Amino acid sequence: MKISPDLLFNIAGFPITNTVITTLITDVILIVLVFIVAKSISIKPEKIQNAFEAILDYFRETTEDIAGERAAFICPWVVAFFLFILISNLVAQIPGFESIRFHTSTSGHHGYALLRAATSDLNLTLALAVTSVIATHVLAVKHTGIKFYITRFISFKIFPIFLFVGLLEAVNELAKFISFSFRLFGNIFAGEKVMATMYGLCPFGLPIPFIALELMVSVIQAIVFAMLTMAFMHIMTDKSH
Amino acid sequence: MEMIQNFGLETKLFLFQLTNFLIIVFILKKFLFNPLKKALDERKRRIEQSLQDVQNAKLILENTGEEKKKILADAKVGADKLMASIKATADEAKEKTLAEAKSRSQQIIEEANNKASAEFENMNKQIAKMSVDASTKILSKVLSELFSEEEKQKLMSRALERIDEKITN
Repeated sequence: MKISPDLLFNIAGFPITNTVITTLITDVILIVLVFIVAKSISIKPEKIQNAFEAILDYFRETTEDIAGERAAFICPWVVAFFLFILISNLVAQIPGFESIRFHTSTSGHHGYALLRAATSDLNLTLALAVTSVIATHVLAVKHTGIKFYITRFISFKIFPIFLFVGLLEAVNELAKFISFSFRLFGNIFAGEKVMATMYGLCPFGLPIPFIALELMVSVIQAIVFAMLTMAFMHIMTDKSH
Repeated sequence: MEMIQNFGLETKLFLFQLTNFLIIVFILKKFLFNPLKKALDERKRRIEQSLQDVQNAKLILENTGEEKKKILADAKVGADKLMASIKATADEAKEKTLAEAKSRSQQIIEEANNKASAEFENMNKQIAKMSVDASTKILSKVLSELFSEEEKQKLMSRALERIDEKITN
Protein backbone atom coordinates (compact mmCIF):
# COMPACT_ATOMS: atom_id res chain seq x y z
CA MET A 1 0.00 0.00 0.00
CA LYS A 2 1.51 3.27 -1.15
CA ILE A 3 1.29 6.58 0.73
CA SER A 4 -0.04 8.29 -2.37
CA PRO A 5 -3.43 7.36 -3.76
CA ASP A 6 -3.51 5.11 -6.82
CA LEU A 7 -4.31 6.65 -10.17
CA LEU A 8 -7.09 4.62 -11.74
CA PHE A 9 -7.78 6.61 -14.90
CA ASN A 10 -8.02 10.14 -16.30
CA ILE A 11 -11.08 12.10 -17.38
CA ALA A 12 -10.22 15.00 -19.67
CA GLY A 13 -6.79 15.19 -18.13
CA PHE A 14 -8.13 15.08 -14.59
CA PRO A 15 -6.66 12.23 -12.55
CA ILE A 16 -9.23 9.96 -10.97
CA THR A 17 -7.69 8.21 -7.98
CA ASN A 18 -9.29 5.71 -5.63
CA THR A 19 -9.56 8.43 -2.96
CA VAL A 20 -11.38 10.70 -5.41
CA ILE A 21 -13.97 7.96 -5.94
CA THR A 22 -14.35 7.55 -2.16
CA THR A 23 -14.67 11.31 -1.79
CA LEU A 24 -17.49 11.28 -4.34
CA ILE A 25 -19.18 8.36 -2.53
CA THR A 26 -18.88 10.33 0.74
CA ASP A 27 -20.42 13.35 -1.00
CA VAL A 28 -23.32 11.28 -2.30
CA ILE A 29 -24.01 9.70 1.12
CA LEU A 30 -23.82 13.06 2.86
CA ILE A 31 -25.98 14.87 0.31
CA VAL A 32 -28.60 12.10 0.29
CA LEU A 33 -28.76 12.17 4.11
CA VAL A 34 -28.98 15.95 4.12
CA PHE A 35 -31.82 15.94 1.62
CA ILE A 36 -33.68 13.18 3.48
CA VAL A 37 -33.47 15.28 6.65
CA ALA A 38 -34.24 18.56 4.86
CA LYS A 39 -37.29 17.05 3.18
CA SER A 40 -38.84 15.70 6.36
CA ILE A 41 -37.72 18.30 8.83
CA SER A 42 -40.23 18.74 11.64
CA ILE A 43 -40.59 19.84 15.24
CA LYS A 44 -40.98 16.18 16.26
CA PRO A 45 -37.79 14.66 14.80
CA GLU A 46 -37.60 11.28 13.07
CA LYS A 47 -34.64 8.87 13.21
CA ILE A 48 -32.14 10.58 10.88
CA GLN A 49 -33.17 14.08 11.90
CA ASN A 50 -32.68 13.03 15.50
CA ALA A 51 -29.12 11.90 14.80
CA PHE A 52 -28.26 15.10 12.93
CA GLU A 53 -29.92 17.20 15.63
CA ALA A 54 -27.92 15.44 18.33
CA ILE A 55 -24.69 16.21 16.45
CA LEU A 56 -25.69 19.79 15.70
CA ASP A 57 -26.91 20.41 19.23
CA TYR A 58 -23.75 18.99 20.76
CA PHE A 59 -21.47 21.17 18.65
CA ARG A 60 -23.71 24.22 19.02
CA GLU A 61 -23.74 23.96 22.81
CA THR A 62 -20.00 23.31 22.94
CA THR A 63 -19.28 26.23 20.62
CA GLU A 64 -21.62 28.51 22.59
CA ASP A 65 -19.87 27.51 25.82
CA ILE A 66 -16.51 28.42 24.32
CA ALA A 67 -17.25 31.29 21.94
CA GLY A 68 -20.61 32.64 23.10
CA GLU A 69 -22.40 34.66 20.42
CA ARG A 70 -19.72 33.90 17.82
CA ALA A 71 -20.98 30.30 17.81
CA ALA A 72 -23.48 31.33 15.11
CA PHE A 73 -20.79 31.58 12.44
CA ILE A 74 -18.26 29.10 13.89
CA CYS A 75 -20.66 26.19 14.36
CA PRO A 76 -21.58 25.54 10.68
CA TRP A 77 -17.91 25.09 9.82
CA VAL A 78 -17.32 22.80 12.76
CA VAL A 79 -20.34 20.63 11.93
CA ALA A 80 -19.36 20.48 8.26
CA PHE A 81 -15.82 19.31 9.08
CA PHE A 82 -17.12 16.76 11.56
CA LEU A 83 -19.75 15.24 9.27
CA PHE A 84 -17.55 15.11 6.20
CA ILE A 85 -14.57 13.57 7.99
CA LEU A 86 -16.75 11.18 10.00
CA ILE A 87 -18.59 9.84 6.97
CA SER A 88 -15.47 9.53 4.82
CA ASN A 89 -13.71 7.71 7.68
CA LEU A 90 -16.65 5.40 8.39
CA VAL A 91 -17.18 4.56 4.72
CA ALA A 92 -13.66 3.17 4.68
CA GLN A 93 -14.51 0.84 7.58
CA ILE A 94 -17.07 -1.11 5.56
CA PRO A 95 -15.71 -4.67 5.36
CA GLY A 96 -14.26 -5.49 1.95
CA PHE A 97 -13.91 -1.82 1.11
CA GLU A 98 -10.41 -2.13 -0.31
CA SER A 99 -10.82 -5.63 -1.65
CA ILE A 100 -12.39 -4.52 -4.94
CA ARG A 101 -9.48 -4.34 -7.34
CA PHE A 102 -9.04 -2.20 -10.42
CA HIS A 103 -6.55 -3.14 -13.10
CA THR A 104 -4.61 -0.61 -15.12
CA SER A 105 -1.51 -0.89 -17.26
CA THR A 106 0.63 0.10 -14.27
CA SER A 107 -1.23 -1.75 -11.55
CA GLY A 108 0.51 -5.08 -11.88
CA HIS A 109 -0.96 -8.48 -11.14
CA HIS A 110 -3.08 -7.54 -8.07
CA GLY A 111 -4.34 -4.27 -9.48
CA TYR A 112 -5.18 -1.20 -7.41
CA ALA A 113 -7.85 -0.93 -4.75
CA LEU A 114 -10.87 0.70 -6.37
CA LEU A 115 -11.75 2.39 -3.10
CA ARG A 116 -9.50 3.82 -0.42
CA ALA A 117 -10.26 5.97 2.62
CA ALA A 118 -10.57 9.53 1.35
CA THR A 119 -8.83 10.89 4.42
CA SER A 120 -5.81 8.71 3.74
CA ASP A 121 -5.10 11.05 0.83
CA LEU A 122 -2.99 14.06 1.80
CA ASN A 123 -4.67 16.09 -0.96
CA LEU A 124 -7.96 15.89 0.93
CA THR A 125 -6.57 16.41 4.44
CA LEU A 126 -4.50 19.35 3.21
CA ALA A 127 -7.57 20.80 1.47
CA LEU A 128 -9.47 20.46 4.74
CA ALA A 129 -6.61 22.06 6.67
CA VAL A 130 -6.35 24.94 4.18
CA THR A 131 -10.12 25.47 4.32
CA SER A 132 -10.08 25.45 8.12
CA VAL A 133 -7.17 27.87 8.44
CA ILE A 134 -8.34 30.25 5.70
CA ALA A 135 -11.91 30.26 7.01
CA THR A 136 -10.52 30.99 10.47
CA HIS A 137 -8.51 33.95 9.17
CA VAL A 138 -11.40 35.30 7.07
CA LEU A 139 -13.66 35.17 10.14
CA ALA A 140 -10.92 36.80 12.21
CA VAL A 141 -10.66 39.75 9.76
CA LYS A 142 -14.45 40.00 9.60
CA HIS A 143 -15.04 39.99 13.33
CA THR A 144 -11.96 41.67 14.82
CA GLY A 145 -11.17 44.10 11.99
CA ILE A 146 -8.20 44.17 9.64
CA LYS A 147 -6.18 46.44 11.95
CA PHE A 148 -6.43 44.13 14.93
CA TYR A 149 -5.81 41.12 12.69
CA ILE A 150 -2.55 42.62 11.35
CA THR A 151 -1.36 43.57 14.84
CA ARG A 152 -1.52 39.89 15.76
CA PHE A 153 1.42 39.30 13.43
CA ILE A 154 3.13 42.69 13.10
CA SER A 155 3.33 44.85 16.19
CA PHE A 156 6.02 47.30 17.28
CA LYS A 157 4.88 47.43 20.89
CA ILE A 158 7.81 46.89 23.34
CA PHE A 159 10.07 46.48 20.33
CA PRO A 160 11.21 43.85 19.40
CA ILE A 161 9.30 41.54 21.76
CA PHE A 162 5.90 41.81 20.10
CA LEU A 163 7.46 41.61 16.67
CA PHE A 164 8.99 38.31 17.70
CA VAL A 165 5.66 37.17 19.19
CA GLY A 166 3.99 38.07 15.88
CA LEU A 167 6.57 36.01 14.03
CA LEU A 168 5.86 33.07 16.30
CA GLU A 169 2.13 33.54 15.65
CA ALA A 170 2.78 33.44 11.90
CA VAL A 171 4.83 30.27 12.24
CA ASN A 172 2.08 28.83 14.41
CA GLU A 173 -0.50 29.56 11.73
CA LEU A 174 1.66 27.93 9.05
CA ALA A 175 2.20 24.93 11.30
CA LYS A 176 -1.57 24.47 11.49
CA PHE A 177 -1.61 23.42 7.83
CA ILE A 178 0.84 20.67 8.59
CA SER A 179 -0.61 19.61 11.95
CA PHE A 180 -4.20 19.51 10.70
CA SER A 181 -3.45 17.66 7.47
CA PHE A 182 -0.82 15.21 8.73
CA ARG A 183 -2.67 14.30 11.93
CA LEU A 184 -5.75 13.17 10.07
CA PHE A 185 -3.83 11.68 7.17
CA GLY A 186 -1.41 9.84 9.48
CA ASN A 187 -4.08 8.36 11.70
CA ILE A 188 -6.25 7.09 8.89
CA PHE A 189 -3.40 5.91 6.70
CA ALA A 190 -1.81 4.10 9.63
CA GLY A 191 -5.16 2.52 10.43
CA GLU A 192 -5.48 1.30 6.86
CA LYS A 193 -1.99 -0.16 7.02
CA VAL A 194 -2.78 -1.94 10.28
CA MET A 195 -6.03 -3.29 8.89
CA ALA A 196 -4.33 -4.52 5.70
CA THR A 197 -1.69 -6.24 7.81
CA MET A 198 -4.30 -7.88 10.04
CA TYR A 199 -6.36 -9.06 7.07
CA GLY A 200 -3.11 -10.41 5.57
CA LEU A 201 -2.22 -12.29 8.74
CA CYS A 202 -5.59 -13.85 9.46
CA PRO A 203 -8.71 -12.56 7.73
CA PHE A 204 -11.08 -14.43 10.14
CA GLY A 205 -11.52 -12.97 13.62
CA LEU A 206 -8.21 -11.20 14.02
CA PRO A 207 -9.26 -7.89 12.38
CA ILE A 208 -12.38 -7.57 14.57
CA PRO A 209 -10.74 -5.70 17.51
CA PHE A 210 -8.88 -3.56 15.00
CA ILE A 211 -12.14 -2.73 13.22
CA ALA A 212 -13.49 -1.54 16.58
CA LEU A 213 -10.32 0.44 17.14
CA GLU A 214 -10.52 1.97 13.67
CA LEU A 215 -14.16 2.91 14.20
CA MET A 216 -13.11 4.69 17.35
CA VAL A 217 -10.23 6.41 15.59
CA SER A 218 -12.60 7.49 12.79
CA VAL A 219 -14.93 9.21 15.26
CA ILE A 220 -12.13 10.63 17.40
CA GLN A 221 -10.27 12.10 14.41
CA ALA A 222 -13.45 13.74 13.13
CA ILE A 223 -14.08 15.22 16.59
CA VAL A 224 -10.45 16.33 16.97
CA PHE A 225 -10.44 18.13 13.61
CA ALA A 226 -13.79 19.81 14.33
CA MET A 227 -12.86 20.78 17.89
CA LEU A 228 -9.49 22.21 16.86
CA THR A 229 -11.20 24.25 14.14
CA MET A 230 -13.66 25.49 16.75
CA ALA A 231 -10.87 26.40 19.17
CA PHE A 232 -8.79 28.19 16.52
CA MET A 233 -11.81 30.07 15.19
CA HIS A 234 -12.70 31.13 18.72
CA ILE A 235 -9.15 32.28 19.47
CA MET A 236 -8.75 34.18 16.21
CA THR A 237 -12.13 35.92 16.41
CA ASP A 238 -11.69 36.94 20.03
CA LYS A 239 -9.91 40.23 20.67
CA SER A 240 -8.80 39.23 24.14
CA HIS A 241 -6.57 36.48 22.77
CA MET B 1 9.62 18.14 -4.17
CA GLU B 2 10.29 14.42 -4.11
CA MET B 3 8.60 14.23 -0.71
CA ILE B 4 5.51 15.97 -2.08
CA GLN B 5 5.44 13.47 -4.94
CA ASN B 6 5.77 10.60 -2.45
CA PHE B 7 2.70 11.82 -0.60
CA GLY B 8 0.84 12.06 -3.88
CA LEU B 9 0.21 15.77 -3.58
CA GLU B 10 -1.11 17.12 -6.85
CA THR B 11 -2.49 20.58 -7.58
CA LYS B 12 -5.51 19.31 -9.53
CA LEU B 13 -6.47 16.80 -6.84
CA PHE B 14 -5.89 19.33 -4.10
CA LEU B 15 -8.08 21.94 -5.84
CA PHE B 16 -10.74 19.29 -6.51
CA GLN B 17 -10.84 18.30 -2.84
CA LEU B 18 -10.89 21.95 -1.77
CA THR B 19 -13.76 22.84 -4.12
CA ASN B 20 -15.59 19.66 -3.24
CA PHE B 21 -15.43 20.41 0.46
CA LEU B 22 -16.55 24.02 -0.01
CA ILE B 23 -19.56 22.78 -1.98
CA ILE B 24 -20.33 20.34 0.83
CA VAL B 25 -20.08 23.15 3.38
CA PHE B 26 -22.47 25.25 1.29
CA ILE B 27 -24.98 22.39 0.95
CA LEU B 28 -24.77 21.54 4.62
CA LYS B 29 -25.24 25.16 5.65
CA LYS B 30 -28.12 25.81 3.29
CA PHE B 31 -30.04 22.56 3.48
CA LEU B 32 -29.12 21.11 6.85
CA PHE B 33 -27.73 23.60 9.29
CA ASN B 34 -30.14 26.49 8.77
CA PRO B 35 -33.41 24.45 8.62
CA LEU B 36 -32.29 22.26 11.51
CA LYS B 37 -31.30 25.31 13.53
CA LYS B 38 -34.71 26.83 12.83
CA ALA B 39 -36.43 23.60 13.94
CA LEU B 40 -34.28 23.44 17.08
CA ASP B 41 -34.93 27.10 17.89
CA GLU B 42 -38.66 26.66 17.27
CA ARG B 43 -38.74 23.61 19.54
CA LYS B 44 -36.76 25.48 22.18
CA ARG B 45 -39.17 28.40 21.86
CA ARG B 46 -42.17 26.08 22.24
CA ILE B 47 -40.65 24.35 25.25
CA GLU B 48 -39.89 27.72 26.83
CA GLN B 49 -43.42 28.87 25.99
CA SER B 50 -44.87 25.71 27.56
CA LEU B 51 -42.74 26.18 30.65
CA GLN B 52 -43.85 29.81 30.80
CA ASP B 53 -47.48 28.71 30.44
CA VAL B 54 -47.04 26.19 33.26
CA GLN B 55 -45.46 28.91 35.38
CA ASN B 56 -48.32 31.27 34.57
CA ALA B 57 -50.90 28.58 35.35
CA LYS B 58 -49.14 27.91 38.63
CA LEU B 59 -49.16 31.60 39.41
CA ILE B 60 -52.85 31.89 38.48
CA LEU B 61 -53.60 28.89 40.69
CA GLU B 62 -51.68 30.45 43.56
CA ASN B 63 -53.47 33.76 43.00
CA THR B 64 -56.82 31.96 42.84
CA GLY B 65 -56.05 30.26 46.14
CA GLU B 66 -55.11 33.57 47.67
CA GLU B 67 -58.16 35.23 46.15
CA LYS B 68 -60.31 32.41 47.51
CA LYS B 69 -58.80 32.92 50.95
CA LYS B 70 -59.34 36.66 50.65
CA ILE B 71 -62.95 36.18 49.52
CA LEU B 72 -63.56 33.79 52.40
CA ALA B 73 -61.95 36.20 54.84
CA ASP B 74 -64.00 39.08 53.39
CA ALA B 75 -67.15 36.95 53.58
CA LYS B 76 -66.35 36.07 57.17
CA VAL B 77 -65.78 39.71 58.02
CA GLY B 78 -69.05 40.60 56.23
CA ALA B 79 -70.94 37.83 57.99
CA ASP B 80 -69.52 38.90 61.35
CA LYS B 81 -70.50 42.49 60.63
CA LEU B 82 -73.96 41.39 59.55
CA MET B 83 -74.35 39.22 62.63
CA ALA B 84 -73.23 42.09 64.86
CA SER B 85 -75.59 44.43 63.08
CA ILE B 86 -78.48 41.94 63.34
CA LYS B 87 -77.69 41.39 66.99
CA ALA B 88 -77.56 45.13 67.61
CA THR B 89 -80.86 45.62 65.77
CA ALA B 90 -82.42 42.72 67.65
CA ASP B 91 -81.14 44.07 70.96
CA GLU B 92 -82.43 47.50 70.05
CA ALA B 93 -85.81 46.06 69.04
CA LYS B 94 -85.89 44.01 72.22
CA GLU B 95 -85.01 47.04 74.29
CA LYS B 96 -87.57 49.11 72.47
CA THR B 97 -90.26 46.45 72.83
CA LEU B 98 -89.42 46.01 76.50
CA ALA B 99 -89.49 49.76 77.02
CA GLU B 100 -92.73 50.01 75.14
CA ALA B 101 -94.21 47.12 77.09
CA LYS B 102 -92.96 48.61 80.32
CA SER B 103 -94.32 51.99 79.47
CA ARG B 104 -97.60 50.43 78.30
CA SER B 105 -97.91 48.38 81.48
CA GLN B 106 -97.04 51.46 83.49
CA GLN B 107 -99.69 53.33 81.60
CA ILE B 108 -102.19 50.51 82.14
CA ILE B 109 -101.33 50.38 85.81
CA GLU B 110 -101.61 54.14 86.04
CA GLU B 111 -104.92 54.07 84.19
CA ALA B 112 -106.15 51.28 86.44
CA ASN B 113 -105.00 53.19 89.50
CA ASN B 114 -106.69 56.33 88.26
CA LYS B 115 -109.83 54.39 87.48
CA ALA B 116 -109.69 52.68 90.87
CA SER B 117 -109.11 56.01 92.57
CA ALA B 118 -111.98 57.54 90.66
CA GLU B 119 -114.19 54.56 91.48
CA PHE B 120 -113.08 54.72 95.04
CA GLU B 121 -113.84 58.43 95.19
CA ASN B 122 -117.11 57.88 93.46
CA MET B 123 -118.01 55.12 95.85
CA ASN B 124 -116.95 57.28 98.76
CA LYS B 125 -119.15 60.01 97.44
CA GLN B 126 -122.03 57.61 96.96
CA ILE B 127 -121.46 56.14 100.38
CA ALA B 128 -121.27 59.63 101.79
CA LYS B 129 -124.41 60.59 99.93
CA MET B 130 -126.17 57.45 101.03
CA SER B 131 -124.99 58.02 104.56
CA VAL B 132 -126.18 61.65 104.32
CA ASP B 133 -129.52 60.47 102.99
CA ALA B 134 -129.74 57.84 105.64
CA SER B 135 -128.68 60.32 108.28
CA THR B 136 -131.13 62.84 106.95
CA LYS B 137 -133.87 60.27 107.05
CA ILE B 138 -132.91 59.10 110.53
CA LEU B 139 -132.43 62.63 111.72
CA SER B 140 -135.74 63.82 110.21
CA LYS B 141 -137.48 60.86 111.79
CA VAL B 142 -135.88 61.54 115.17
CA LEU B 143 -136.39 65.24 114.92
CA SER B 144 -139.96 64.93 113.77
CA GLU B 145 -140.66 63.21 116.97
CA LEU B 146 -138.67 65.56 119.30
CA PHE B 147 -138.76 69.01 117.72
CA SER B 148 -141.26 71.33 116.09
CA GLU B 149 -141.27 71.96 112.44
CA GLU B 150 -139.30 75.18 112.73
CA GLU B 151 -136.65 73.76 115.10
CA LYS B 152 -136.51 70.79 113.01
CA GLN B 153 -135.79 72.87 110.00
CA LYS B 154 -133.05 74.83 111.81
CA LEU B 155 -131.35 71.73 113.19
CA MET B 156 -131.50 70.02 109.91
CA SER B 157 -130.00 72.86 108.01
CA ARG B 158 -127.22 73.19 110.61
CA ALA B 159 -126.55 69.49 110.51
CA LEU B 160 -126.54 69.46 106.79
CA GLU B 161 -124.17 72.37 106.69
CA ARG B 162 -121.80 70.57 109.04
CA ILE B 163 -122.03 67.39 107.00
CA ASP B 164 -121.32 69.32 103.87
CA GLU B 165 -118.33 70.90 105.52
CA LYS B 166 -117.01 67.50 106.59
CA ILE B 167 -117.53 66.09 103.19
CA THR B 168 -115.82 68.96 101.48
CA ASN B 169 -112.91 68.68 103.94
